Amino acid sequence: MNLSDQRICLWLVPVFGVLLVAAFCIAGFIPPPAPTLTAQEVANFYRDHIAQIRAGMIAVNLCGIMFIPFFMVIVVQMQRMANPSRAFAYAYLSAAASAGSIFLLADLAWSIAAFRPERDPQLIMLMNDLAWMSFVSPVGFIMAQNFVLALGIYMDVRQNPVFARWVGHFNILTALLMMPGAFALKFRAGPLAWDGSLAFGLHFGTFGVYIAVMFFVVRSALARQAHEEGHQAREQGAEACPTC
Amino acid sequence: MAAPVHDTGLSVANDAEGNSKRHLPGDANVWLFVIGDMVIFSCYFTAYLFDRGHSHELFLQSQQHLSQNVGVINTLILLTSSLFVALSIQAARAGDLGSASRFLTLGFACGVGFVLIKSYEWFLELSSGWTISSNAFFMHYYMMTSLHFFHVLLGLVILTMLRRELRRMASPRLQFLQIGATYWHMVDFLWIIIFALAYLMR
Amino acid sequence: MPHMLTTGAAGSAPTGENPRAKRANVDELICWWSIPIFYQIFALVFGYLTKIMRPPIPGPTLAQDGIIAFTLGNATHMQVGTVLLGIFLGFASMGTGVIVVQMRRMSISSVLPYGYLACGAAAALPGCYFCALLFSVAAFRPDRDPHLIALLYDAGFAGFIGCLGCFATQYVVFAVAIFLDRNRIFPKWLGYMTIWNFVTELVAAPVWIFKRGPYAWNGLLSFYLGVVIFVVWIVCVIIYLKKAISNQPLGEVEPA
Repeated sequence: MNLSDQRICLWLVPVFGVLLVAAFCIAGFIPPPAPTLTAQEVANFYRDHIAQIRAGMIAVNLCGIMFIPFFMVIVVQMQRMANPSRAFAYAYLSAAASAGSIFLLADLAWSIAAFRPERDPQLIMLMNDLAWMSFVSPVGFIMAQNFVLALGIYMDVRQNPVFARWVGHFNILTALLMMPGAFALKFRAGPLAWDGSLAFGLHFGTFGVYIAVMFFVVRSALARQAHEEGHQAREQGAEACPTC
Repeated sequence: MAAPVHDTGLSVANDAEGNSKRHLPGDANVWLFVIGDMVIFSCYFTAYLFDRGHSHELFLQSQQHLSQNVGVINTLILLTSSLFVALSIQAARAGDLGSASRFLTLGFACGVGFVLIKSYEWFLELSSGWTISSNAFFMHYYMMTSLHFFHVLLGLVILTMLRRELRRMASPRLQFLQIGATYWHMVDFLWIIIFALAYLMR
Repeated sequence: MPHMLTTGAAGSAPTGENPRAKRANVDELICWWSIPIFYQIFALVFGYLTKIMRPPIPGPTLAQDGIIAFTLGNATHMQVGTVLLGIFLGFASMGTGVIVVQMRRMSISSVLPYGYLACGAAAALPGCYFCALLFSVAAFRPDRDPHLIALLYDAGFAGFIGCLGCFATQYVVFAVAIFLDRNRIFPKWLGYMTIWNFVTELVAAPVWIFKRGPYAWNGLLSFYLGVVIFVVWIVCVIIYLKKAISNQPLGEVEPA
């Protein structure tokens, strides 16, 4: 089987991952504006950085969903696992799709906030609140993704498992490390606020490391798949023509 | 066939065509659906009567704006279509597939007639300024008749499928025909209640 | 195109072994368990904590003070509820996963199972999380303009009860699959019950119009009847899904 499509989806990650981080930096969202800013300060922030925020958010709009094909490569790899059924693979797909749409909501809210900087500062702050809260808080989807992937790995009884067992442990660990993000809904200051060291720093830092590590993990899984299927093709060729 | 056959708890013995050997016409499942649907509709009727009790005058006045004649015509049309569908099933049971198909077509045509007349009636009422938010009576009227309308549209789809079954298959599945007919009779019955509540009780 | 279910060696892993044979469907059972657990959490979040699932009376016509009391007075519970939802909502996808596996065992093509999956994925934000999120935004700043809080209040409730399309489509897809299925994965009456659920979506449509009465978002018909029918339906789905999983032959291979 030709693995080119999976490889292309895999390589979208470094290309667009870098672009996404750059987009957020350009928009001035790293580090995030504090939740404790007043409405006027938030409006000033948007007014002073209007071009950068718009550019950044348009880039995020276009590139944000580019991780979905990578997650779909993982879905395909999960279907290769010798699990009793494909329930986990479908669950992963569903969770990834939901996560994508919520991520886009955040992007839209930022873009709407930046659309008319002369708007009532209370309204801009409302959109800003909505954007940050929907960006930082819904951690359950990536947690569920990691969780079902880990379960799938643990139940993979193939002779040559698709992913090594440590990848399963890694997925569960990163899911737990990303969990503090959910608390950003409640706190306006401190480590659990949307600009806090736990809800933002640990959460997205872990996510970045996770994606980077999974890139290499999936890359080697694809290499193994190519090797296995090359092997299989040769065996079938030998069976078809034993004297060749 | 490796496919597992699961017991649905009805202890139904099926012959090769899946026709039930039970004596209940159609399928126990569709009767469950019919009864459940009627229970749900009765909640809407209860809400209507409750509100009517509260605002008796308002309801009486608003009802005058409905055309009783059109209501009667619609009722007769649906009753006729039910009759045709029943005749169709009877013919199918007797093996006369040609007549069965023709009766079904007539029943379908009546159903389409109902849809057209109801749509036109709504158009007239809306043009006179009576919308769903006009008052409590019209809220109930439009909601109940819309819900029923949706059931009629679904019924037309089902009648089409029944007709295809009659025409295509060498030996059509009687159970399937009976299921469809049961649904259509239910739709007719619900209309009669709506007709009585909205058009007659005034 | 209808397909046959097969068991045994067909479709075994490329290494030649058949690791699927004779293993209990543990993964499906894990996913199945997530459904009742998720709905318990859902009931806790929406019923007790955020108090969204017993909408305040009079609902859309609640006065400004009442709205403030609901959003800000309830703020801590509201936020805790949404935090929980933010952590656990993703696990609803496990339920979707196992239902899709069972739907693929039906004698239908993959279209309907994938449709069910897509609708379920699409429904997570508008049909569930968005409402809690909007209320949390409202509860975030006590000094917010009361008109904005009123806007969020309307948006939250109307959007939650009035989110019709993804669920309606999901129910239609599920019901059609059950009716067309000749492998009897689920009983036919469950298909009819699913149609009722679909009808409740139709009856919920007027919440975008009415601010009082049975068709408002806190109304007897649009809300309470819908919830009752949904609860009965999901209990039946949970029970019959378990039966379908138990009846599934061990080592059955999913068609490609």
